[in-house]
Amino acid sequence: MKSLRRDFSSNPQAANVTSKVFVRSTKSGKVQKIVRELYLRQDIPCSSKLCSTCPSTAPADANGNISPFVLSEHPAGTSAFPRGHYLVPDTNALLNGMDLFEHTGAFYDVIILQTVLEELKNQSLPLYNRLLSLIKTDEKRFYLFFNEFRLETHVRRGPDESINDRNDRAVRTVAKWYTEHLKATVRKGKKNDIPAIVVITDDKENLRKAKEEDVTALSLSDYVTGLEDSDRLLDMINESKEARETKGARGELFYPEYYSMSKLMTGIRAGTLHQGVFNVSPYNYLEGSVNTPAFDKPLLILGRDNSNRAISGDVVVIEVLPKDQWKSPSTKIVDEEAVTKNDNPDSDDTEAVVTERERKALQEEVRKAHGKSSEGRPQPTAKVVGVMKRNWRQYVGHVDSGSTGVQASAGRRQQNVFVLPMDKRVPKIRVRTRQAGDLLGQRILVTIDAWDRDSRYPTGHFIRSLGELETKGAETEALLLEYDVQYKPFPKAVLDCLPAEGHDWRVPANKEDIGWKGRRDLRDLLICSIDPPGCQDIDDALHARPLPNGNFEVGVHIADVSHFVKPNNAMDLEASLRGTTVYLVDKRIDMLPHLLGTDLCSLKPYVERYAFSVLWEMTPNAEVVSADFTKSVIRSREAFSYEKAQKRIDDPSQKDELTESMRTLLRFSKILRQKRMDAGALNLASPEVRIEADNDEVGDPLTDVKTKAMLETNSLVEEFMLHANITVASKIYSTFSQTAMLRRHATPPPQNFEELINQLSKKRDMRLDVSSSRALADSLDRCVDEKNPFFNTLVRILATRCMTSAEYFCAGAHAESEFRHYGLASPIYTHFTSPIRRYADLLVHRQLASAINYEGEDGRAVVEGVMTRNRLEDICRNINYRHRNAQFAGRASIEYYVGQALKARGEKMAADGVDGGIEEEGYVMRVFENGVVVFVPRFGIEGVVRLEDFVLPEDSTLRTVEERRELVTRRQSDFDNEEYTLRVSNKGQPESERGSTVELFQKVNVNVSSVKEEGGRGAGKRRVRILILGSDA
Amino acid sequence: MSAQRQASSASQTPLISPAELSYLYTSLSLPDGPIRPDGRSATQFRPLTAETDILPGTNGSARVGFADGTQAIVGVKAEVEKTVVAAEALNLSQHTQEEYADNEGGEGKQSSSAGHGSWVQMSIEIPGFRDDDALPVFLSEMMREPLVESVAGGQGGDGEMAGGLKGRLVINKRWHWRLYIDVLLLSQPLSYPLPLLSLTTHLALLSTKLPKLKSKGEEDPFFDDDWNAAEYLYPRSQLKSHLSSTQQVRPPVTLLVISVGDNVVFDPNREEIAVADTVLAVSVTRDTDSEGLKLLSIRTVDPPSRLTQPGVPNSENLATLGSTAAAEEAALLEPSTGEEVSGVWRPRRGGVKRRTIAKMLKLVLEKGGVGEEVLEGLEGVQVG
Repeated sequence: MKSLRRDFSSNPQAANVTSKVFVRSTKSGKVQKIVRELYLRQDIPCSSKLCSTCPSTAPADANGNISPFVLSEHPAGTSAFPRGHYLVPDTNALLNGMDLFEHTGAFYDVIILQTVLEELKNQSLPLYNRLLSLIKTDEKRFYLFFNEFRLETHVRRGPDESINDRNDRAVRTVAKWYTEHLKATVRKGKKNDIPAIVVITDDKENLRKAKEEDVTALSLSDYVTGLEDSDRLLDMINESKEARETKGARGELFYPEYYSMSKLMTGIRAGTLHQGVFNVSPYNYLEGSVNTPAFDKPLLILGRDNSNRAISGDVVVIEVLPKDQWKSPSTKIVDEEAVTKNDNPDSDDTEAVVTERERKALQEEVRKAHGKSSEGRPQPTAKVVGVMKRNWRQYVGHVDSGSTGVQASAGRRQQNVFVLPMDKRVPKIRVRTRQAGDLLGQRILVTIDAWDRDSRYPTGHFIRSLGELETKGAETEALLLEYDVQYKPFPKAVLDCLPAEGHDWRVPANKEDIGWKGRRDLRDLLICSIDPPGCQDIDDALHARPLPNGNFEVGVHIADVSHFVKPNNAMDLEASLRGTTVYLVDKRIDMLPHLLGTDLCSLKPYVERYAFSVLWEMTPNAEVVSADFTKSVIRSREAFSYEKAQKRIDDPSQKDELTESMRTLLRFSKILRQKRMDAGALNLASPEVRIEADNDEVGDPLTDVKTKAMLETNSLVEEFMLHANITVASKIYSTFSQTAMLRRHATPPPQNFEELINQLSKKRDMRLDVSSSRALADSLDRCVDEKNPFFNTLVRILATRCMTSAEYFCAGAHAESEFRHYGLASPIYTHFTSPIRRYADLLVHRQLASAINYEGEDGRAVVEGVMTRNRLEDICRNINYRHRNAQFAGRASIEYYVGQALKARGEKMAADGVDGGIEEEGYVMRVFENGVVVFVPRFGIEGVVRLEDFVLPEDSTLRTVEERRELVTRRQSDFDNEEYTLRVSNKGQPESERGSTVELFQKVNVNVSSVKEEGGRGAGKRRVRILILGSDA
Repeated sequence: MSAQRQASSASQTPLISPAELSYLYTSLSLPDGPIRPDGRSATQFRPLTAETDILPGTNGSARVGFADGTQAIVGVKAEVEKTVVAAEALNLSQHTQEEYADNEGGEGKQSSSAGHGSWVQMSIEIPGFRDDDALPVFLSEMMREPLVESVAGGQGGDGEMAGGLKGRLVINKRWHWRLYIDVLLLSQPLSYPLPLLSLTTHLALLSTKLPKLKSKGEEDPFFDDDWNAAEYLYPRSQLKSHLSSTQQVRPPVTLLVISVGDNVVFDPNREEIAVADTVLAVSVTRDTDSEGLKLLSIRTVDPPSRLTQPGVPNSENLATLGSTAAAEEAALLEPSTGEEVSGVWRPRRGGVKRRTIAKMLKLVLEKGGVGEEVLEGLEGVQVG
């Protein structure tokens, strides 16, 4: 038998066609062999401005333009490369040094290979996205070179070559090609300027081969050493790899290994393992919880070895522990700083995962597990067996002064320090730095690189310093970073989307103008706006007027932002990314550029503006007869603040039409509100204070801090906005049954309230009925303590925390019965009234415009409202997240401001001698075994009061932090978990009346001050200290 | 209908006159070895061209072309499938669940290594035939059967192929591979296409690779995404020599053997089949159990010679006798007795002699015999 084989080697076409083969496993379990054919080409440009041939061969778009060349003619060089260089990093270099590549001081003219980009995508999606945005920006001159498609640089994998080796070879091939290509194509006379092509790789084998092949290659650290300011830059290299190398053989492992991915997947499908987001308790860093669909209560994860290197926010896979290890949630406040005070970041040798002290803290829980009350009943616990997705981000923190060596400030030696993140739920991060001395007392940004089994804490690296601790700039930036708020100025592409007229833009005078198309002229209506004082971005305005038939016409007019922000342009994308405007005490981070937000869209008084109006005909009893929606042109007559409006309404001498219409509105709003309440809307409370920062230096800084006053006019505006939102929601839902952008507030599961119900019945003998929102509203109204007017608010605050948060969703994502807004007791709801500061409203505007067949200037508005459900769901996810973060950031900002005000006051007082702090009323919100959480309504803050901060009669003179700290050892406490009481006394004293007892909901007198930790660990960190002086009972 | 009947036997009978048939038969049945029309020796195959991995999208593929212009392409696709637990095994499922809970895989090999024949699906497409016509159905079953029934004990140290192909398809107790073997004949079948299709299928299976499994034991399967890491369905020998002590399990080949008189002829062409006394499809394979080859199946194929018209001896031929009367007379005197008249074609009737079958098998199976020659020849085709 004889056989012959076909021979391809003579086929000239064969070189141009090649294929890429890989195995793809789909979610449904299919395993496919995928073959992609590659047609290699020779017109992919090198994109160097030095090149004389590529511009003529580069592929052009439909208009005949080629994309501009990126790499500079005179790239920066170093001492080793005086003629400048182009950098070609490999994947590892990017993985280890992304922060460096983003650094503005170095790393310009970088060639990113397609091979590298794809490899990076597989290894780390966040880094991939960061690299993409780097490539997009023009300043850094990053060029994405499609080497896999270019004939000369495509590399075929050898028979026994690993993928890594092949990719390394691809990088070297590109470097070689660039060198030769530039040599051949650079115009004569410039031959001396040919930049060097420098491969940056940390792979030793790759470096060796590069040397053999005569390719210039450097390791990342070697390259950085040659730069200016290398000390600082070197700190920004990812530490994990280096650390692993130095540790290498020791191999003492603190944490159990994660299960293999396939085992995890099998377990999750079989239901033996569960997946969820890992959350850490803000009071106890050793206690985490994971919400899983399989259980209605979160599963507890206690201790470091069970949480197994998971960090708050990670998506983890957990395994439920056997029943004999179930425990009740902790009743103790455990602070990482306090427990792990003496850890040395340099030595891991003595570390155990669970230190004695931590173990003790946990022991307490086991004891508690045998309690009788529902709170004490042991709950299922679980351990982390795998991590599906790390949600590590950049963390703001400060260097733990206790962890820097003695010689810290002296040399530039590299040393390990601990960085304490601002977020208490994140463990401290070990960072290697050469600048430990300089970083002390600074707010710094760090990132986590890895958490290996042989390291007790995660390792990370320094990114940059935000500035001195407690300086306004540093703290504000810290806040914004911590809550992932996009605060960079709007890029040029966004600003280019603004109307060319700028501030001179006017509503066209001629009604024939295209801008008037489909708009109703409402300029003669007496419209006014009511907002907080000093409000610049006026979203909404109102009017009411009697109709001839005895009914009234009521109108809500909303800034027509969708006229200015066209879908899918740069401004729209930026806004959808930002999601919302963020309000800090002294700063506002806009969602839309200033020009729109505070001028062109803002419904400023006395000028004509485009608006989107909702008009109702209402009977004098506020029954809606009909509703109408229209784009319009309005002219607001006046912009009131709440107070001014209230005054004008209350002033009987004012008889003009505008005031009358406001009175009508107020009357209607009261009826609407009553209707809403009757339907079961909840009157919830959150601890809000307002800060009026316009005060001068003199006087008490604390006078700026004001609790929010509720005027009737506040509720006037609120009612009509709610009403408009509900009306619009049903309108867009009737048109877009799948894609309407709505907002829902899910009915909270009753078990969320269990603890609060228990506490109320124990301490006050009150019942909370959570069977419906109506029942809850009524029972909340009954929770009144005669002696304690604030008690009701306190209960409302606590009840609010038991609920789920409201969320945006698109109509197709839930059944209609799930649309309900629990808090507002409305079957359907959306956000329509604040398009300047919320992206959801902008979308709703587009949908409504489309629903009423408004065509817009170019007739495209009808189409603009339509969007695919997938895209909408992505947007919903993002704006829900942004919205939540914006709230957190706002609160944190107020908290910071209160702290600063207290400090300023303290400093003023200190001139007179002792800083006495300020005495206030506080309320006990939670009782732990070793402290309580007290809420101070005056400042809207809540804080932990530890045993030593209970001022007992015999030590009332001791006030400084140090003095009180010494009390710790002498204090003893008697905690009754079932009665929610804590009795604090000094050791050795008889069980007489000398101690102090606090219980839940109790009103206590507290002393609030801002203290700075002196000496020891955490030095220089300021916190608000609350001392309990005694109870009122 | 007649076309179908013909198809189910060994393809269409070529239009050959009884005299030609007789001539062919005589030369093939010569006592000192057959003289074949194309001059081949009795065991010689026609030259063929073969190549593998011609279809990049498949797990394995091959093309074989005979010199007469007939060509076949075979593609093998593999798919992961959940194993349905049979009813009688259901009561065991409780047990296996528990087992799963505390084992890390590895045990329970005996029970799990039994695969199922239905995991291999074969479809044959022949131009001019519907896919439910008898020929493709019959052919595919004839090739599938030895393929899935070849069971290796696995004592030879080759644990991977324990249980033969079926065993190889088992991933774990809950998952298995399903193979789709698509056979495509590119030209009208000039001769009975079985050997061509079988050789091509064999080659395709030899080149078939399955993605490398990364998960262990009873976990849901999880595979390496690097195709270069994929493993051969039929593992390669580490050493290139075929004389290594343990033989590699190989997919079976089905050979067509005919006997003409006392002679045995391999790889018969269409004309040779037309005069065969017996047509046998013999499936053999190499496996770890035994030295030499293992016989998997023998099927007899209805020889087309049965359907040929007999020749008329001159003595009975009216045309040659000259007068009708004489013919009638002759018919009366010598009624057709069915006796062999030398040089006159007479379709073969009756069974096959045991001796003949034994001889055919011996030629296939003996050491250094045709079977080994074919397998080695196929092995020689560069795979991968």
